[in-house]
Amino acid sequence: MLKMTNISKIFKSETIQTHALRDFSLTVESGEFVAVTGPSGSGKSTFLNVAGLLDNFSQGEYQLDGVNVSGLNDNDLSKLRNEKIGFIFQNYNLIPDYSIYDNVDMPLRYRGFNAAERKRRIEHALEKVGLASRHGYLPSQLSGGQQQRVAIARALAGEPKILLADEPTGNLDSLMARQVMELLHSLNEDGATIIMVTHDPDQAREVKRSVQIIDGQITDAKVYAPESAIQTTLTENEKKELVDA
Amino acid sequence: MLKYYVQLAFENIKRAPTLYLLVILTLSLGVGLLCANLALVNSMASDPIPHKSDRLFHVSMNTWVNENPHVQPLHIIRYRDAMQILKSDIPVNTAIFFVSNAYARDANAADLSRSRAVIRATNPGFFKLTDAPFAYGNAFTHINAKEVVIGDDLNNKVFGGGNNVGKSIELAGEIFTVVGILKPWDLRPLFYHVTENNAFNPTEDVFLPLETALDNDMSIGARSSSTDNWRVSSDTRERNVFYMQAWVELEKPSDKSAFENYLKNYSQSLKESGEHPNEIINDLHDVNEWMEKNNVVDQRIIAFTIATLLFLCVCVFNASSLLLSKFHAAKFEIGLRRAIGASNQQMLVQGLVESTIVGVIASAIALVFSWLFLKASIEFLPMLTNIAVLDIEVLAWGVGIAIIASNISVIYPLIRANRYTISAELK
Repeated sequence: MLKMTNISKIFKSETIQTHALRDFSLTVESGEFVAVTGPSGSGKSTFLNVAGLLDNFSQGEYQLDGVNVSGLNDNDLSKLRNEKIGFIFQNYNLIPDYSIYDNVDMPLRYRGFNAAERKRRIEHALEKVGLASRHGYLPSQLSGGQQQRVAIARALAGEPKILLADEPTGNLDSLMARQVMELLHSLNEDGATIIMVTHDPDQAREVKRSVQIIDGQITDAKVYAPESAIQTTLTENEKKELVDA
Repeated sequence: MLKYYVQLAFENIKRAPTLYLLVILTLSLGVGLLCANLALVNSMASDPIPHKSDRLFHVSMNTWVNENPHVQPLHIIRYRDAMQILKSDIPVNTAIFFVSNAYARDANAADLSRSRAVIRATNPGFFKLTDAPFAYGNAFTHINAKEVVIGDDLNNKVFGGGNNVGKSIELAGEIFTVVGILKPWDLRPLFYHVTENNAFNPTEDVFLPLETALDNDMSIGARSSSTDNWRVSSDTRERNVFYMQAWVELEKPSDKSAFENYLKNYSQSLKESGEHPNEIINDLHDVNEWMEKNNVVDQRIIAFTIATLLFLCVCVFNASSLLLSKFHAAKFEIGLRRAIGASNQQMLVQGLVESTIVGVIASAIALVFSWLFLKASIEFLPMLTNIAVLDIEVLAWGVGIAIIASNISVIYPLIRANRYTISAELK
């Protein structure tokens, strides 16, 4: 589903070069639920932006659902984002002036579906997150957890190949966070491939596989998946040192 | 997608009404002022008779009787020169005329009040040459008939409108029969008489047979040498009095050459009889050449139009600054739309659709501004009354200019917006 090989991402300013990702390799198979952890500034968000085609990378190869994204133009990248990726953000990123229905409708508009197909997908997605009855509400009329479920519905409506979640429970209290996590697990059980960046070690432990990023590289600190699935340039000793640390 | 873009545009306008109102008013002011000036230029520069303006020629002759090596052809000619032109069978139509004034009234009315009327003393060919539009009746058929054709305005003033062919009208104390009534005739510029600042006068109230006008001593404004005075208008037939203008309609280029030869032969015959002391120079100018030669388009209006174009540029710059702040404030939404699959191209088209809608709204307000500017212009400068007209052509320009101005104003903000890093706005 997602295969990154030796990806590097360098941010350059006039005086400094920052290696946000270095020789980063990761393969995620279809149906996996992968948690990505790491300290602040370790490169988690950069990884998610590159994986979500929101940002380009300096070196390496990235294949998403069999498509090599290197060299694709903006139109092709946008089409890939629209068709294959669903984003779930920490801040939900709903448009406050739009109803729940219209927020979920947004990605479908760029897909070119007709009104009937959009309606079917929106209703199905809202039903899946338990908000079908609230489709006319504005985001401000919902709780934080409900807003995040709307964001998940928006991500699901396009029936993407992969869901990328950036600290989806970061702004929620524990009860709502639990509801959202249960929803993500249930989606994963239904076959969705999910990559979730999180700070919460408990959430990382709940998922099938967890990887840690430090200094732009993967360290398999807590791996609940076969180790062979993780590609890294670190030596075994280095990995062990990081794990022990 | 277009429907969605239109829907988004209206939603965006609804979400920031004050900002869009400022943008629309800024553009409207610039476009409105420019369109008001373009309306003036359009009135001045338009071809009043486009279907045959290249076949109608004003005749200028150099028959001035006093020796002067520098003399140029005059736009006015003598009675006998005009008659010589009228005699030629080369043109399909010929018009010779002069302008006069009189007071007019319904000859059978009990009321003795009169209306001032501008008279064009001419020949029957004038109506065919100018395509004068008849509402009732026809042109007079003889150059010396006691008949008149009247304009719509005078018909309303004197007879209260309607078909009054056959009725009698009193002009300068003489009775004439009305044989034709014109429809409202808006000829801008008045191509057949653009000299002496008459280019934007309305068409005349009365068209009187030329010989009849002279026999009835209708006033004439003329140039003559000090030895060629006249007591009554009919005296001018035999004297070197310059007051008539002539136009001919020549169908083919060969007719033009033939007519030029005809004029040359006439001038040569004058020279041989000692009546043409100066070099023979006869000119034929078609309608547009004649208007250009007489500077019908006021250069001050052109200069002011350029100034208003620069003002529009300032308005576009201001609108662009306002839109830049709007796009800056909308960075999050732009980032989100890009993240969920909108391409740069789609965002660009969406922005252009929005600016086109803004342009259309601005054009409607701009045309109201234009109308107000022209009304104000007429108040201060009454001479603009017949020029300050917003016709369909200018209205179409107004809409087009407003849309273009609006689209130009959004280009830089759109380029900036498309350079935003998507991920930077989303967390």
